[in-house]
Amino acid sequence: MKNRQPAYQAEPANAPRSAGSPLATTAGTLRKRLPLTVAAVGALLVLTACGGAVHADSAQGPSRAPVSGGTLVYATGDTEPACLDPIVSGNVPQALVSTQYLEPLFFQDENGEVGPWLAKSWKWSKDRLALDITVRQDVHFTDGQQLNAETIIRNVAYIKDPKTLSSTGILAVEKVASVEKISEFTARLHLSEPDNALLEHFAQVWVPIQSQKALARGAEANCLSPVGTGPFKVESWSKQQEVVLTRNDDYHTPAPTAGHSGPAYMEKIIWRFLPDHAARFAALQSGEVDVIDVLQPQNAVAAKADPALDTLIGSRPGHVVNLTLNTTEDPFNDVRVREAFVRSVDVDAALKSIFMSTVPRSNSVLSSITKFNRQNPDAYSTDVDKANRLLDEAGWTARDSEGYRTKDGQRLSTTAIQTEAVLVPVSVFEQFQHSAKAVGFELVINQEEPASFNAKRYAWDYGISPLYYTKNSPSVLNIVYDSAHIPSVIKGGYHANNNGLTGPAADAIDQALRLAATTGSEKERGELYAKAQQLIDKQYLSLPIFDQQTRLGFRSDVEGVRLLSPLGMPTFYDTWLDRS
Amino acid sequence: MSLDTDNRTTSHSIAAPATRDTEARARLKTVLRLTGFRILGAAGVLWAVATLAFFAMRLVPGDPVDALLGGPGNNATEEVRQATRELNGLDRPLLVQYGSYLGKLVTGDLGDSYQLREPVAQVLGEQLGNTLVLAVLALATAWVLALALALWSARGGKVATLVGNLLEVVSAAVPHFWLGSLLILVFSVSLQWLPATSGAPGIEGLILPVLTLAIPLAGFLGQVMRESMLTAMNSPFAISSRARGESEASLSLRHALRHAALPGIGLSGWAMGSLISGAVVVETVFARPGIGRTLLQSVLVRDVPVVLGVVVLVAAIYIIVTLLSDLAERWADPRLRAA
Amino acid sequence: MSTPTHLTKTITDPEEAMTHSIQTPVLDRSPERRGPAEPRPRTRASLVSQAKELFTGLGPGIIVPLVLMLGLVAAAAIPAALAPSGPLDMNPAEAFTAPGTAHWFGTDESGRDVFSRVIHGARSSLLIGVLATVIGLGTAVVLGALAGLGTRAVDFGVSRFLEVLFAFPGLLLALLVITILGPGVVTTTIAVGLSAAPGYARMIRSQVLSVRRSGYVEASIVQGKSRAFIVRHHILPNVAAPLFVLATLGVGQAIVWASSLSFLGLGATPPDPEWGSMLSLGRLYIGNAWWLTFFPGLFIVLSAATTTLLGHGIQRKLKDK
Repeated sequence: MKNRQPAYQAEPANAPRSAGSPLATTAGTLRKRLPLTVAAVGALLVLTACGGAVHADSAQGPSRAPVSGGTLVYATGDTEPACLDPIVSGNVPQALVSTQYLEPLFFQDENGEVGPWLAKSWKWSKDRLALDITVRQDVHFTDGQQLNAETIIRNVAYIKDPKTLSSTGILAVEKVASVEKISEFTARLHLSEPDNALLEHFAQVWVPIQSQKALARGAEANCLSPVGTGPFKVESWSKQQEVVLTRNDDYHTPAPTAGHSGPAYMEKIIWRFLPDHAARFAALQSGEVDVIDVLQPQNAVAAKADPALDTLIGSRPGHVVNLTLNTTEDPFNDVRVREAFVRSVDVDAALKSIFMSTVPRSNSVLSSITKFNRQNPDAYSTDVDKANRLLDEAGWTARDSEGYRTKDGQRLSTTAIQTEAVLVPVSVFEQFQHSAKAVGFELVINQEEPASFNAKRYAWDYGISPLYYTKNSPSVLNIVYDSAHIPSVIKGGYHANNNGLTGPAADAIDQALRLAATTGSEKERGELYAKAQQLIDKQYLSLPIFDQQTRLGFRSDVEGVRLLSPLGMPTFYDTWLDRS
Repeated sequence: MSLDTDNRTTSHSIAAPATRDTEARARLKTVLRLTGFRILGAAGVLWAVATLAFFAMRLVPGDPVDALLGGPGNNATEEVRQATRELNGLDRPLLVQYGSYLGKLVTGDLGDSYQLREPVAQVLGEQLGNTLVLAVLALATAWVLALALALWSARGGKVATLVGNLLEVVSAAVPHFWLGSLLILVFSVSLQWLPATSGAPGIEGLILPVLTLAIPLAGFLGQVMRESMLTAMNSPFAISSRARGESEASLSLRHALRHAALPGIGLSGWAMGSLISGAVVVETVFARPGIGRTLLQSVLVRDVPVVLGVVVLVAAIYIIVTLLSDLAERWADPRLRAA
Repeated sequence: MSTPTHLTKTITDPEEAMTHSIQTPVLDRSPERRGPAEPRPRTRASLVSQAKELFTGLGPGIIVPLVLMLGLVAAAAIPAALAPSGPLDMNPAEAFTAPGTAHWFGTDESGRDVFSRVIHGARSSLLIGVLATVIGLGTAVVLGALAGLGTRAVDFGVSRFLEVLFAFPGLLLALLVITILGPGVVTTTIAVGLSAAPGYARMIRSQVLSVRRSGYVEASIVQGKSRAFIVRHHILPNVAAPLFVLATLGVGQAIVWASSLSFLGLGATPPDPEWGSMLSLGRLYIGNAWWLTFFPGLFIVLSAATTTLLGHGIQRKLKDK
C-alpha cells in the first residue's frame, strides 16, 4: 500500500535550469508590479461583479511579498480524468488540471476579445478561408522541444486522428481542412468554410499546444504525461488518488492577466481526487488540503463565516445550467405548455433556499461571461396566472381527482431525469414539482445514476433534462440548438441538440445561428446571435437556471488564487503560501 | 426416506472394522477427495460468479462505450463512439464477447479497464492492499471492542448487562456513512485531531475509517458473543470451576471466551464479506482508494472489466476466508476437531 | 463442505425444543388462571390488572421496545394524525429553520417540516425493513428447506447456488438490481431482501440439518413416523423460533442497509420522505443544519435497535421457558 507505483512517473528532469535564484528576481519584479496587479484585480472584480460573475469574500491583497516554494494540495470534487491530455475526450475535469501544465495559442479575455499567447500574431485571408498563425520563437516545451510551425501541424493532425478519440477538440478544428508550413514559425490553416469562432477555439485549454515530440509517443503515453508549456508539468499520476505536478523552472509564457513573470511560486501541486463533498470540505477545514473545488453552497456559507477560509466563485462560459425541454413528445410539443411550465416554477426561491443565495440567477441561455449573452428576465420570470392562462388556452382545462389538469382524459404530466453529476440537485426538482402542481402540472422525478441518465437522454426518454455545455464562444448555441444536431446515426446515440425542435420555428433558429457562425463582421455576428437567442427564448426550449461555475474554497493563507479566462479554470501560477 | 444427506458425515461411516493401514489409507483418500471437491467447487463458484456478473452487466442500462470515452459526461459524436466500440470489440455478438472473456479469464487475464486504461489486474492490485488493510484492521478492532464489552458486561451485573446490551444494539444499528460523517465532524473538523481523509501516509488516516467500519460490526459480533458467553458462564462446567475456587476473571478468559469466540469465528467469514460492502461506503466517505470505491465507481460508469475483476477477486477472497474460518472453528471447537 | 454458521444458538437441546411451541408463555403463568375457577366479572379494573400482569410477565426487555415499536407502527399507519403538516408541504422562505416551537425538528432546504417528514417517512422505512426481511427470509426458507430436506442432489445444487450468491458481493447484487430496475422504494426493498437472502438461507439450512440429524428425529424415523409428521412436529417448531428472532434482527439491518443505498444515490425516489434518503441528503448540510441528519438518523437507529431488542427479548423469553 505504501509502495504504490504511480501510473506515470517522470524521468529525472534534464532540461536546462535557469541560472540564479528565481526567488530573488521574481520577488523584485513583483514588488514593483504589485500595486498595478491589485488595481487590475480590483477592476476585474468590479467589472465582473456587475454580471454576477466573481464573488470573492476577502478581496484584501497579500500582507507581504510572495514567497516561493512549498507544496499546494488541491482536492477536486470533479471526476478523475481518464486521460490528462484534454484533446482526448475534452471535459471539465481535464480542463481543470491541464490548465496548470498546458497552454493554448490565444488568450481570450473576460470580454471575449482574443489576443496573443503562444501565438505572436495571426492574419486572416480575404476570403477568410486561410489563417496564418505565427508563434513565439522563444518557447520551449518542458521536454526541450521548441515551439514552431511544425508543432501546429502535428497538433491538428493529432486531434483529427480518429484513434485519438477527441470529442471537444475535433469539433473545434472541424472546419480546418489542412495545415501548411509557411516558414519556421508560421503555419497556414486552410478552412473548408469560414469559421469566426476558430480563434476562440484555439483559446481553449481543450485545444492546447503540446510538444510534437510528446505527441509522437502515441495517445496512450501522452495521456499519462502530456507535455506543454505551462507553469507546471506532470510529475506522476497515481490513478484514483492524485496527480503530482512540479514547477516548470524555465517558464516564461504567463497569460496577459498573470500577476507576475518567471516561474510559478509553488514548487509542487498535489492534485487529489476527493469526490465526496462533505469529506472534501472537512479536509479543507482541518487543513489537510489547501484548495478545494465544487464547493457546495452550504459550505460556501460556512467558509465565508470562517476566518481561516476564503472562497472564489466565478462563472464558466457556454450554455448555462438549464432544464432542457423535450419538444418531440407530449406535452412539450406545444410551446404554450413549455412556457406555462417555465412560468409556473420559482427559480429565484430555489436559488435562495437550496443554494443559500450563493449562486446568481441566469436569464439567458448563454452564460453571463459569454460574448453576446442576452439576459431576458421578462421571458423567464415566474407568472402563475399566465401559466394557468396558457394551459387553459392549450386545452388542458379538465382536472382529475388529484387536481392535475387533463385533456382528452390524459393527465398533464412530464418526467424529469436527474443525476447528481449535472449540478441541479434533486431538491430543486422537488420545489419545481411542488410549484408545477399548483397549476395542475404533474412533474415526475426520475433520479438516475449517471450512465442510465445518459442512456435516457440519448433515447429521448425524458420530458425535462438538466444540461449544460461549456464553451468560450456564443457558437455553443450552434452546437446545442441547431436542429442538424438532432438526428443520431444510431438509435440511442449521442445528440448535442436535446430539445428536438423541428419545423418553421426551428428553421428560423437554424438560419440565424448558421449566418452568425460564418459572418465576417463581428457586429453582424453579435446581432445574429442576439436574434437567435431571442428566437430560442420565444420557443421556451429550456429554462436557464444559473451559470456553470468554478467554485473554490481555500485556506486564507493561500494567496493569489485566480481564475483564468476564458473557461474560468483555476490557475495557481500566481499562488503562494503565506505561512511562516 | 434417506435422511443422511450431509456429505460431512462420510468420515464417520468409513472407519469401523478396518485395519489401521486401510483406515489410514481410506482417511487419506477421503481428505484428498474432499480437497479435490473443494478446489473444483471453488473453480465452479468463480465461474458462476463471473458469468452472473458478465450477463448482469449487459442488462444494466447505459452504454459501456461511455466509460471508454471518459465517463458519462463526454460529448463524443456517434462516429467516435462507433469507432471506439469497434476498437474494443464491443460490436461483436454477446456470446463471442463472453467466450473471449472466459478464455482470457482462464489464463488469468482480467482485461483492461475502460476508464482507467490500465490492466484490471494492476488496478485491483493497487487497490486491494488498501481495502484489505482497512478490512482486517476493522475486523480485529471489532473483535477487540466486542470482546471487551462482552467480558465487561457479562461480569458487571445487571446494569452493566443492560448498558452493554444497549451499546451493542445501538452501534449495530448505526449506518456507516452517518457514523463516519459524525466522526469526521468531531475528530477532524472540531477537534482537528485526526485527518478527515486518508491522503496522509501513516496510521493516522486509518483510525477514523477503521472505527467507522468496526463499531457497527462490533455491535453485531458482541450481541452474538455475549449470548453464548452468558450460557457458558452459567454452564455446569463453569459452576464446578467456580466451586473449585477458580477466579471469575480466569474463568471468563479461559473458558467463556472460547465459547464466546466460537460463533464469532463462524461469523467472521460472513463479516469479511459485509466489510467489503461496508468498505464501499467508508471509502467513499473518507475518500480512501480501495476495492469498494473502485467497485462502486466501475458499476456507475459501466467499466465492465473492472466490475468483473472485482467480483472474481471478492469471490476468491470469500472462498479463502471461509476456508480459514472453517479451520479456525475446528481449532476452537474440540467437538468439530474430533469429527 | 463448510460448517454451518449458527447465528443464534437458541435451540441446542432438541429434547427441550420438542416440548414447546411458540405461544404466548405469559398466560399460563398467570396465578389467576391457576386459582379457584370462580368466574370473575370482567371489570375495567380486572382488565387493567390483567394487562399489568401481562406486562410484568413480559419484563422490561420486551415492554420498552414494544412500546417504541407501537409508536413507530402508529406513525406508519396514521402519519397524518401525528404530523403537524404534510410531508411535501414546502415553504422555501422558511428553509433551514432550526428546531423550535414552530418546527420541533426544524426545516429542510425547501422549508419542509422535518418532524412531519420523519413521521411520514416511517411508513416507507418500516415497509422497506419489513418487506425486505420478508423477501429475504421467504427466499431463504424455500432455499434452506430445499437444501435441508431435499435429496442429496438438491442439497448439493442449492448449497452451491447459495455459495455463489454468498461469494457475490452483497452490495454489488443490490447495485445491479437497482441499476437494472431503476431506483425507488420497491427496488430498494427487493435489492436489500435479495442480498440478505443467502445469509438467511445458510442459517436455515444448517438449522434444518442439525435438527434432522438429532436423536429424536432419528427415533421418530425408527418409530415409522411419516415425513410430514416429522417436518410438522420436529423440524418446523425448531426452525420457526430462531427464524422469528432472525426476522426481528433483520428488519433493523434492512433499514440500515437501505439507508446506505440511499447514501450511494440509489435509494427512494424524491420527494417521498424516507429516513435513509433524508439522512444522506442531510449529511451534506451536517456542518450547517445538524437537525437534518440527527433526527432521521435517530429514527433509523431507534427502529433498528427496537426490533433487535424485541428479538432479543423474545429469544430470552423462549429460552427461559
